[in-house]
Order: sequence, then structure tokens, then C-alpha cells
Amino acid sequence: MKYISFIVLSVLSIQLAIGQAPDSTQVYKKRVLESTEIEFLSSYYNQDGDNAAVSGGIGSEELTDVTATFIVSIPLNDDDVLTIDAGISAYTSASSSNVDPFDGSNPADPFVASSGASQSDLWSNLTGSYSHSSDDRNDIWSAKLSVSAEYDYFSVGVGGSYTKLFNEKNTEISINGNIYLDTWNALYPTELRPFEVGGNGLNSNLFTQNTITGNTNYNPNFTAFDNEGRNTYALGFGFSQILSKNLQGSLALDLVKQDGLLSTPFQRVYFSDIADSFIDNFQLADDIERLPDTRSKIAVGGRLNYYINETFVVRTFYRYYTDDWGIKSHTASVEVPIKITDKFTLYPSYRFYNQTAADYFDVYEGHLSTNEFYTSDYDLSKYSANQFSFGASYTDIFTKFHIWNLGLKSIDLKYTQYDRNNTLSANIITAGFKFVLD
Amino acid sequence: MIKRIVLLVMVLTLSTSCVVVKEYEKVNLNDPDMVLADKKVDRNISTAHSYREAASGANGGKTGGGCGCN
Repeated sequence: MKYISFIVLSVLSIQLAIGQAPDSTQVYKKRVLESTEIEFLSSYYNQDGDNAAVSGGIGSEELTDVTATFIVSIPLNDDDVLTIDAGISAYTSASSSNVDPFDGSNPADPFVASSGASQSDLWSNLTGSYSHSSDDRNDIWSAKLSVSAEYDYFSVGVGGSYTKLFNEKNTEISINGNIYLDTWNALYPTELRPFEVGGNGLNSNLFTQNTITGNTNYNPNFTAFDNEGRNTYALGFGFSQILSKNLQGSLALDLVKQDGLLSTPFQRVYFSDIADSFIDNFQLADDIERLPDTRSKIAVGGRLNYYINETFVVRTFYRYYTDDWGIKSHTASVEVPIKITDKFTLYPSYRFYNQTAADYFDVYEGHLSTNEFYTSDYDLSKYSANQFSFGASYTDIFTKFHIWNLGLKSIDLKYTQYDRNNTLSANIITAGFKFVLD
Repeated sequence: MIKRIVLLVMVLTLSTSCVVVKEYEKVNLNDPDMVLADKKVDRNISTAHSYREAASGANGGKTGGGCGCN
């Protein structure tokens, strides 16, 4: 880690030294943002698969999520911009409903989402950010504060960034840092709760009102987590360069350190050396996922965009990722915007992703009770994924269409199909509307 | 891998002294589709990736905060 940081800082320092020549491009001071902009983003996401983590690697991964986000950017003066970003996300999922699979009207089953009260939740987020640009627009500072909440999770984040442009704005370097202080309100699988310290065990209502089959002497060795905090510290470096009149690229390096409760408390694990117990068709948990309380991540990404002609642009992206849980990953994508007219553009794109498994992952009934760490969350398994997207954009720089005193600047629509090679499949429809205040 | 990344950074670094595109020559580079970042409409797709995939970062998306555990 120190080695990488040293290399990056050295290169950036050299770049700074090279680029310290006075910038002669400053002619007049243009406002960073001419007028207030309001963006509305919305999406509909749907997924399904057969490897739910809440039921130990088997079961429905069905999830539906609808989001709505408003982003308002307000120019405070020539140099400063305040941005307020507020969003909500409402979802229903088999994973949240099967935290308690016994509260529905039908027999419990890992492949059927329970119809009980736990099936849905609401996530809300508010982020405020402030940016300041120097008179010559070669230095940009920004700071942000974010808060997000859902029923069992709360997050507070602070961050800041500095961007330096030089070499007649042909070169840009940046550094950013973010800290997130998160807190769980840990929810455990309902059948494990009676086995917490002070619980009634098999005398609880769940077991007196239902019949255990298989191993009737259900007695999990369960302890709740002491620490429900999760902290994330992220440091990022960016470098972008104009390479010709039609070509530009960028590199990014993110270093992330996490500590605290990194396990998801309601994700079950079934051990191969413990006899199975059931209520209805649902296997009772042997334990919950247990993962280390620290994680270090490194991600290096690059973009290269080429302007072919007035009709075609090629946008490419590649990222390599590794962490100390044993995961390595490659991501590559290509998008070819096609300008049909001066107002309409089409966006076909393809993305490939793969990853190796975390050291602590194993399939349903693959773990032993003597292991220190274990999970059957297929998000941490080895897999590859293919994604195809098709989008369309309408842009009117003159904002002729108005709603009250808001001029419509652009509309974006996109459909995305995402398929893993381990049964999970998802599709997402996204929409964006951008208005400018007259 | 690290050596390759360092090499790429150095190539890009050296290239800055070879090419200087003037402001009046940046009409193609200023095309909205040439921006070196994801479009806003892709934000929720990127967020879904950060929830469903172990890898994150280096793309301007989420690096932390929020559960994403459903």
C-alpha cells in the first residue's frame, strides 16, 4: 500500500513540477454555472436468482427497487456552486422478507418470499456539496456531507476533493477523501433470536407454535455481534490528459479501508457437520455470516474516449480491483454514442465483469462449524457477468420546452440487462430529466 | 500489474509535454459524450453494481456508505 501511494504521489509531484508554467488561457471569468439546474433521476430495478444469502446460498434472490432522486445545483456567485442531492429508494425483496420467513400466511420456503411485514423497506439519502473554483478555473475545491438511512442501517459521510488543471487545461490531477461512519441496527434471522443471551430457546413462541422436523433438537451456538459500527475510509487519486484533438484519457486509483461490522447480520450459514432442522420447507440457520472486521481494497481504473466524427464517439473503461479478502476482479466496458441528429443520440453499450471468490465463501452446506469465518453470499463468489445497455438521449441546448419557468435541457432513457453465470439476472430502466431555471 | 500501471501513468505523464491542444481546438473534446465520467443517468446502474459486485471504486461511483445488503 505504501509503495503504491509513494509511486502515485511521486508521479503527481513530477507532473505538478512540469506543469507549473503560467497558464495563458485566462481571458475572462466565466461563471462556473450560469443558472440553477434541476435534475430528476428515476429507476426501476428488478432481479432474481437462486442463491439467496439470507437463506444460506439457496433460495429466491427476487428484488424490486424503485428510486427517485432530485439534484439541485445552485450557483451562489461566479465561483461557488451548492448542490443538494436528495433521493429515496423503495424496495421489496425476498432477502428482507426471509429474515422472518414464518410471518406469512403460506408455509415457509427459501424459494418463496414471505408476505410478512419485513418484505419491504425504504432507503433515503441527502447529500449536500459545495464547490469553489479559482478565478482562472485551474483550482477546484469541494466538500460534501451525506446522510442515508434505512430501517436497519444509518450512514453519515463527509468528504472533500481538490482538483488542479494545468498545461493549458490539457492535464488534470485530483485527490479526494471520504469517510463514512455507518451504524447497523442488527436484525438476525428470526429463529436465532431466542438463542441470544437471555433468550427462551426452544420455549419461544416460534418453536411452540411450529413443528421442527429433521433434527428436532435445534440448538444453534449463536452469539450476537458486540460492535454494530462500520467505518469506511476512502482515498482517491485522479489523473486525466488530453492526448490529441480527438482523444483523451484518465486514470483513477482508489484506496479503501473498512473496519467494524462487515458481515450482514441476517445472512444465514448452514454447516455440513451439523444436522439439519426445518420448519415447513425452511431450513433453520446454524449461524449467521461471519467475516473479518477489517477489509482493504485497491481499485485502479482507466478511461479512454475517442471522438471519431460528428456521428460516433467511442467510450471505453477498464478497472482492476483487489482486496485482502482474496477477491480479484476485472471490469471492462465500451459504449458507442451515435448522434442521429443534433438533438438525439443513441447509446448502445456492453460491459464485462468477473471476480474471484472471497477466501471465506463456500456454497450451501459447504462450511464447517469449526471455521472462523464463513459466508454463502454469492455476491462474494466467483462469477462473471455480461451487461448490455441501450439508451437514448434528447438534448435541447435552447431549452424551448418549459414547465413553469423551468426549461427542459435534456431527457435520458436507458434499459440495461445484466446476467451473471450463477443464475442471477437483473434488468434496470433508468430515466433522467434535466431542467434549467430561467 | 503495478509495474504496468506505473508505466501507463508515466507514458501519459510524458505525453503532456508533447501535446498541447489549445482551447479553440477543443470543440470535439468538449462534446458531452467525451466527458471522462459516467453520465448521471448511469448512476443507479453503478450503484446496483456496487451492491451486487464485490469490486467497487475507480469509476467515480460509490466507495462506501449505505448497506446494499438486500
